[in-house]
Amino acid sequence: MARKTIFIDFSKCIECRACEVACEREHDGRSFISVFEWQEMAAMALNCRHCEKAPCVEVCPTNALYRDEDGAVLLAPQKCIGCLMCGIVCPFGIPELDLINKIMMKCDLCAHRRAEGKLPACVETCPTDALFYGDFNEIIRERRKKFTEKAIELAKTAERIKLTGV
Amino acid sequence: MSERLVPVVCPYCGVGCRLYIRSVDGYPVGIEYAKDIPGIANELGKLCPKGNAVIEYLLAKDRLKKPLKAKEQGKFVEISWSEAIREVAERLKDYAKDDPNQLMFFGSARTFNEPNYLIQKLARMLGTNNVDHCARLCHAPTVTGLKAIFGAGAMTNTYKDIEEANVIFIIGHNYAETHPVGFRYVLKAKERGAKIIVADPRFTRTAWFADIFLQHYPGTDIALINGLIHIIIKERLYDEKFVRERCVGFDEVVKAVEKFTPEFVEKVTGVPAELIIQAARTFATAGKGVITWAMGLTQHTHGTENVKLLGTLSAICGYQGKEGCGCSPMRGQNNVQGACDMAALPNVFPGYQAVTDPEKRKFFEEFWGVELNGEVGLTTIEAAYAAEKGKVKAYYIMGENPVISEANANHVVHVLQKLEFIVVQDIVPTPTMEFADIVLPAAAMLENEGSLTNTERRVQWSFQAINPPGEARPDWWILSEIGKAVGFDGQGPKGFDYTSPEDILREINACTPQYRGITPERLKENLAGIHWPCPSPDHPGTRVLYKDKFLTPDGKAHLVAVSEYKGPVELPDEEYPFLLTTMRYVGQYHTVTMTMRTQALRKRWPEPLAEIHPEDAAKLGIKDGDWVKIVTRRGEYPIKAKVTRTVKKGVIAVPWHWGANVLTNDALDPIAKIPETKACACKVIKITEEDARKLMDKLPQLIPKIEIVRG
Ligand code: SF4
Ligand code: SF4
Ligand code: SF4
Repeated sequence: MARKTIFIDFSKCIECRACEVACEREHDGRSFISVFEWQEMAAMALNCRHCEKAPCVEVCPTNALYRDEDGAVLLAPQKCIGCLMCGIVCPFGIPELDLINKIMMKCDLCAHRRAEGKLPACVETCPTDALFYGDFNEIIRERRKKFTEKAIELAKTAERIKLTGV
Repeated sequence: MSERLVPVVCPYCGVGCRLYIRSVDGYPVGIEYAKDIPGIANELGKLCPKGNAVIEYLLAKDRLKKPLKAKEQGKFVEISWSEAIREVAERLKDYAKDDPNQLMFFGSARTFNEPNYLIQKLARMLGTNNVDHCARLCHAPTVTGLKAIFGAGAMTNTYKDIEEANVIFIIGHNYAETHPVGFRYVLKAKERGAKIIVADPRFTRTAWFADIFLQHYPGTDIALINGLIHIIIKERLYDEKFVRERCVGFDEVVKAVEKFTPEFVEKVTGVPAELIIQAARTFATAGKGVITWAMGLTQHTHGTENVKLLGTLSAICGYQGKEGCGCSPMRGQNNVQGACDMAALPNVFPGYQAVTDPEKRKFFEEFWGVELNGEVGLTTIEAAYAAEKGKVKAYYIMGENPVISEANANHVVHVLQKLEFIVVQDIVPTPTMEFADIVLPAAAMLENEGSLTNTERRVQWSFQAINPPGEARPDWWILSEIGKAVGFDGQGPKGFDYTSPEDILREINACTPQYRGITPERLKENLAGIHWPCPSPDHPGTRVLYKDKFLTPDGKAHLVAVSEYKGPVELPDEEYPFLLTTMRYVGQYHTVTMTMRTQALRKRWPEPLAEIHPEDAAKLGIKDGDWVKIVTRRGEYPIKAKVTRTVKKGVIAVPWHWGANVLTNDALDPIAKIPETKACACKVIKITEEDARKLMDKLPQLIPKIEIVRG
């Protein structure tokens, strides 16, 4: 199963927080992605990683956390008992407690948008492409291809320079 | 229930992003990204946080829904549209009968081309050229400076050219924060291997991506740019062929920059000489280069000279008239370019045709069927001083908020109190509205339709997505009703009898050479829009200007030399030891009328913070989060401090959104008449929270409660 998730290129994030506002709009005023600033300068966005070996899914006593067909880790609210286990075991502290309903909430990779064939809102909006949605293997393959193209280009230029004797 | 997805243009900045508004029965319920429209400015439908939050301000509880008339300052009674229109028209007619120059009109860079065309037509038909708008406060030097050297005042290229450049020089402009979606093109260029040079007094989000970062003192741009030109000439890195064939005035430039050696420039700007040399070499040898700037460069008494020097720098490197090259001034509001094109300016008719030119005047006299005034009118700041002397007595303000946006805001308030008659046409209560005699409730941009021109000269049509609240009406409707009530009821262009914005755009097509081929039909069909100049209905529009010749009378670029170094007019001294500069936040917009009414933005960017260098802060005993009072010769402003190394020592940076213009200097650039908002001397004093609250009570209320009493 191709498991897709959101990857984050920290070097491109400009801390504009468009992703937060977009997520909030799609999830009733609550954002599941947060942008942090480091040492006055560098910024990074952080959201659920939908981990390969997700500790939250493993630890959930009621199976409220599960995977959908795209591999996203989702939460079934009717099964959640608010025991907070998932929040504690998640290395990034992602699942949050909804203080009113006393159940957990987390990024669902915009299930409602994926159902319509659209990308998650944060990815769709990120102006700098710091966020991208895809399958790990596909992304790696794409990156290798890009690198090779660049290398060939470089070799060609070197050849041209040699030919013109510059 | 009918759900619709309507293509609109974002109502915020000048990038001109497209998006869809999802509406049910004329009520907005969400947005969708415009992924499926090829060739738009925001590639793949990307949006910044403001674009993502466009719905909330439309639903603000305090939207204006009925025309209002003041009983006393700040207290209003509701009146009907017919009463309001009659009253405004009568008063305008009265003033025009005595002396039309007692009137002053404000166009708006926040609304469509059509109402801007109408407001200047109304002013001019009444007999005055006193019409201006807030471009005066942001890019007036860009218009005058670029016009002087290239022959037209607009961006000479498009986003596509930024993407294709090999070097991008960003000066006086925090691109990543002010225009995140536009910055995308800079990053794409960088990915391709382009070099980024950033010059800014602050280490901004933009500077983070710079290959070369020049941190100069606010207001020392002339020295810095002259320094770059000096090195490029000394090392013969300029484009000799281009200079020989397409430019005049090069010899004067050579002489003028003589004394701007890297050592001299280092002393003035605080940027190490080697860095300046490195920047000059990188810029001149890249082959394709773009220069981009904004308010950090223009809001100075020497703003016009700054722009002219940048034009010269770009021309001597041969970076004009080619793809991947050019000058890209970034506009702040969604229709600054359009409002200028439509001539909401005191010196020109639509399409930059000078009011002083008898031939152009004759054309418009025949076109509109009235006699026209041939004297250049007043700019916004000049009007304020004329009002103080009692020469200007009435303001018609459409969609502007001078109490917050103009430099030396205390003076503006003083002037508004003095005026006899003020009409404010807007969508929500603003601090300016407190002084109004008549308030006209306007439909917001997304609640009506029309054409807009983004920063890269791209004209786009935005459709009506939802219904306006209450009795709010489109700007074009209000102005055409007033025009008719004043008595301009002639046929076609000779009157104000319009039934739709399309009618008005057709009239614009007929009298504005650059817009001749930009018809409503074409715009509605082609959502990506058309770049002006577009001289005929079958012309595809123009991406790069000046391919064969410049628009100056002789077709050449007129290079400009500035041999005298001029800094800010007000420099730090013993009493006011710091240099104050203003800045912006990505999630707040201008005078916050829309963004502070948007929960998602307000909670992320809740308040202003004054940036101060740790060493300065230590000297003054200020810690992060302490309340301070910033004092200049014009006013006092309470604000919390943010101790950070992003600013240079001796510099204080304050966001201006929340009314910091009570501090800034309104000394004018003599040519473009822009005030020096970006640099002045100040002192910083630590105060208690209680003192801060007291001071705050004295400042204008950003979101005022308008009191409605019974008539
Ligand atoms: S939208 Fe993209 S650039 Fe902006 S904060 Fe989020 S991840 Fe960073
Ligand atoms: S995928 Fe959706 S839910 Fe998850 S962070 Fe992005 S916008 Fe929010
Ligand atoms: S970048 Fe400008 S035009 Fe685009 S979404 Fe943001 S505010 Fe709107």
